[in-house]
Amino acid sequence: MTTTTKSASRKLTIARAMAEATAQEMRIDPRVFVMGEDVGPLGGVFGNTRGLHDEFGPERIRDTPISETAFIGAAVGAASDGMRPVVELMFVDFFGVCMDAIYNLMAKNTYFSGGKVKVPMVLMTSTGGGYSDAGQHSQCLYGTFAHLPGMKVVVPSNAYDAKGLMTAAIRDDNPVVFMYHKALQGMGWLGTEKGATVAVPEEAYTVEIGKAAVAREGRDVTLVSLGVGVHHSLRAAQALEAEGFSAEVIDLRSLVPLDRETLRASVAKTGRLIVIDEDYHSYGVSGEIIASVAEHPGCRLRAAPKRVAYPDIPIPFAPTMEQWALPNADKIVAAFHQMLSES
Amino acid sequence: MTTEITVPTDLWEGDTEGVITAWLVNDGAEVAEGDLVAEVMVEKAQYEIEAPATGRLGIAKEEDEVVSKGSVIATLEP
Repeated sequence: MTTTTKSASRKLTIARAMAEATAQEMRIDPRVFVMGEDVGPLGGVFGNTRGLHDEFGPERIRDTPISETAFIGAAVGAASDGMRPVVELMFVDFFGVCMDAIYNLMAKNTYFSGGKVKVPMVLMTSTGGGYSDAGQHSQCLYGTFAHLPGMKVVVPSNAYDAKGLMTAAIRDDNPVVFMYHKALQGMGWLGTEKGATVAVPEEAYTVEIGKAAVAREGRDVTLVSLGVGVHHSLRAAQALEAEGFSAEVIDLRSLVPLDRETLRASVAKTGRLIVIDEDYHSYGVSGEIIASVAEHPGCRLRAAPKRVAYPDIPIPFAPTMEQWALPNADKIVAAFHQMLSES
Repeated sequence: MTTEITVPTDLWEGDTEGVITAWLVNDGAEVAEGDLVAEVMVEKAQYEIEAPATGRLGIAKEEDEVVSKGSVIATLEP
């Protein structure tokens, strides 16, 4: 599906950007195909395969039964045999039933075979909450996947990166987990984040997996985040600017590989670090970011680092309780004020 | 002559209200007739709105605003 707008300022939602990248790769590479629940005529519950079934038909856009173990396992087999499957785990929360296929087969077969078997597949999966879908449909679990060796993990915050990262993921000979936040899809009922719908070139291009982006330059504090947290951070940076502080915002874009150079360079400049993550507080991305900065011999922090992350609780269904638990711009600003008062 | 972009009355079944979920062109940009310009969501289904003419887009209904069939959501200035 190519969105037919000729305007130079054509914008796409992340959902459309993912579909466009997939369609463009399918047109030039017959080995690429898509499998998952409701990826066919429905176009994906989160819109990211819209139009593909019309163009490529049921042979290459395959609706599967609700059996993630079977179709992710099948994708590993197809990838090992020369195909380039793109499979969807509809909600990352469902990983429990199919993790053996993901982390014992997909992630490790190349190593186990002494490099003789490549597993060039993309596992795309939705993350995040904010729309009262409760504890089995709202988690991020970034740290869970980034923790396990053998697979790349990317998390786009806008449609430009989503298209470039998807194209890069499909062309990559390694398994890539493509984690997209539901609130950024442009699907309305999952939340609306205008900042995620941005100008996207019509032609195919890649965004290098493993390179973070400086989403906003600043001098006084580094805000590091990913996915929807980047948008919270940009709003916080705007609020801090009104108070006379200049915040730099780093969009990780990729968790594996992690661009530690960009993190360290930013904190070397600002001397202050706050990590914003919608994944759980403990044993996750926020801890890894802080450790990566703090363990470097050149690290000179002017204040103890902070994190604005999800509390270590199952995600509540009640809207007031869920909103209380989620990271937001106000919490980031408060963390910065707290940091100043302590140092 | 200014052309209004309205929500087509046959875009979805029934008279349920919808919400603008995305503008796919910036306010003030030039668009061509037939360009996809916006998405409207009705009960978790998304519908596409195309430009009925060529011109400069003036957005009247922003993202998250509620619209009905026939609502004017933007204008096109030649």
